[in-house]
Amino acid sequence: MLRYVGKRILMLIPVMLGVSLIVFCMIYFTPGDPAEYMLGVDATPEAVAAMREQLGLNGTFLEQYIRYIGKIITRFDFGTSYSTHRSVTTEILDRFPNTFRLALLSMVVSAVLGIILGIISATKQYTIFDNMASAFALIGTSMPSFWFGLMLIIWFCLKLKWFPPSGFDTPAQWVLPTICLGLGSTATVTRQTRSSMLEVIRQDYIVTARSKGQLESVVVLKHGLKNAMMPIITVIGNSFGVHLGGAMLTETVFSIPGIGKMMVDAIAIKNYPVVQGGVLFIALCSSVVNLLVDLLYAYIDPRIKAQYSKKKVKKPAANQKTKGVA
Amino acid sequence: MSENLLDIKNLTVYYYRDGKPIKAVNDLSFSLGKGETLGLVGETGAGKTTTAKAILKLVPEPQGKYESGEILLDGKDVLKMSKGQLRRMRGHDVAMIFQDPMTSLNPVLTVGEQIAEVVRLHSKVSRAEATKKAQEMLEMVGISGSRYTAYPHEFSGGMKQRVVIAIALACNPRLLIADEPTTALDVTIQAQVLELIKDLKDKFNTSMLLITHDLGIVAEVCDKVAVIYAGEIVESGTAEDIFDRGTHPYTEGLFNCLPRLDSEEGERLNPIKGLAPDPMNLPAGCAFHPRCPYATDACRQSNPKPVEIEPGHFVKCHVRGIGKEDA
Repeated sequence: MLRYVGKRILMLIPVMLGVSLIVFCMIYFTPGDPAEYMLGVDATPEAVAAMREQLGLNGTFLEQYIRYIGKIITRFDFGTSYSTHRSVTTEILDRFPNTFRLALLSMVVSAVLGIILGIISATKQYTIFDNMASAFALIGTSMPSFWFGLMLIIWFCLKLKWFPPSGFDTPAQWVLPTICLGLGSTATVTRQTRSSMLEVIRQDYIVTARSKGQLESVVVLKHGLKNAMMPIITVIGNSFGVHLGGAMLTETVFSIPGIGKMMVDAIAIKNYPVVQGGVLFIALCSSVVNLLVDLLYAYIDPRIKAQYSKKKVKKPAANQKTKGVA
Repeated sequence: MSENLLDIKNLTVYYYRDGKPIKAVNDLSFSLGKGETLGLVGETGAGKTTTAKAILKLVPEPQGKYESGEILLDGKDVLKMSKGQLRRMRGHDVAMIFQDPMTSLNPVLTVGEQIAEVVRLHSKVSRAEATKKAQEMLEMVGISGSRYTAYPHEFSGGMKQRVVIAIALACNPRLLIADEPTTALDVTIQAQVLELIKDLKDKFNTSMLLITHDLGIVAEVCDKVAVIYAGEIVESGTAEDIFDRGTHPYTEGLFNCLPRLDSEEGERLNPIKGLAPDPMNLPAGCAFHPRCPYATDACRQSNPKPVEIEPGHFVKCHVRGIGKEDA
């Protein structure tokens, strides 16, 4: 198992290199010059050239890329923000708590609600409950979050004055962004739970569990849900990974100082180091969450666990034997 | 008379697809005494498994519907039981060994947990005692108790079937339903599993309903036999009645299908002509008449009633039952 985790962590290196190359490439070929942008239209060509040198924008593409990667590897230096002149690492770490809190809140809400709704709609297939849950899921996935966020602000902040419209420091400020961000994933989780559960509750082992005289609720939760869990966890993990890298629309609508808002602002003013660092960070978050999801699989399904630790399978068996002898 | 442990009377179960009924079980009746073993024999799709599931009221609803009839277990109608009564009955009074051991065990729970689960449901014991009982059950079916923590995927098909048997027998049920318990296993394991079921059944004096299409198994294990065709019992009686004096044309056909060791070289098997009827569209009259070599006009027009041709031996046939009715 440890070997497997080690292997997966090592595999992160080529992934991150690939992501950095692609982002660097895309930014390099984007029209516009940050030096000009910073100095204004009146700047002399000499001043612009000096600024480019200072920003590390001189030289060929390859030179620039190698310089960038070199700094990261040797000094863990992702560059300095053009606008605040602080290091990108500090910028990201400063905003990460907000983003993390929002992502975690909306994940918990969407996982709990989505799984409950999905189970109800699978066990009461084709009833009014199922139709209502399906309608909710359809609306939830198709509603754009910036519009939904604005509607929430109009109703609950401006008209009802229940919650503040911006910021992210007090629990009252957490409510609306969590609803806004969680709605989409709740809908996805509901749909995934429904289809996964529908498949599982037709399996023979569910009939076996019923034939033992087990309570229907235990049959559904213990025998059904655990088997249906894998695709559900995948969906939850995916959206959590994406949200960890910043929920750009939600953070922007609710003016939350998080990674997403930082990226949007950085793109607007061609703040290249922040964009690059941010994208790398998003990629890292997704990869780490993916790895955690894969490890969760092993925890849920013993067949996958056996696959992960093929060579170590014999060890626990040997332990058991000695225990028996003792 | 409540001597019988199980009395099924005129059971009719339909499945519905697009509003049209699939007539799986039609007006089926049979009974099973205490300690007896009844073999329910028939082709694939004849309604054997549906009948078995109906006894536990496990026919998938709402697709499946119990149209009429009663299933009396010790005089109490299973179909009228409350949810709580059903739960106390399932696994405790009636237990079932399912057809396919590969899919009837939960892949994410250890085999031990799955046996202990049924123990804990029906007897008030601590977790530790249930574990101990589960280990005993494993030993009883010939698996080392130390494999308690193994998962189903670590077991072979035969071992999984043993676990399924251990689950079924863990609470000493009075009625054991074995739905083709050996179909998914290879022949050497089949013999072992059958032997095991027979031993355990004798040990606990359990009644058994053995569902199979394998006449060899029936001959070996069963006291009584019921032949099922298109959801109806066409002939029933003791094993001798059916094997030595099988009367219904369908029973006759089944035996003619068996390969014989003493057959002449070049002699071919003698299958029943035609296919089993489509349960969505059963023939009028006797369901077997399109395939029956003796069919008469009466067979095409009306469905015969079962006739007792000798004590305890019933035949449902216009041709073979006739004349003996008065005798």
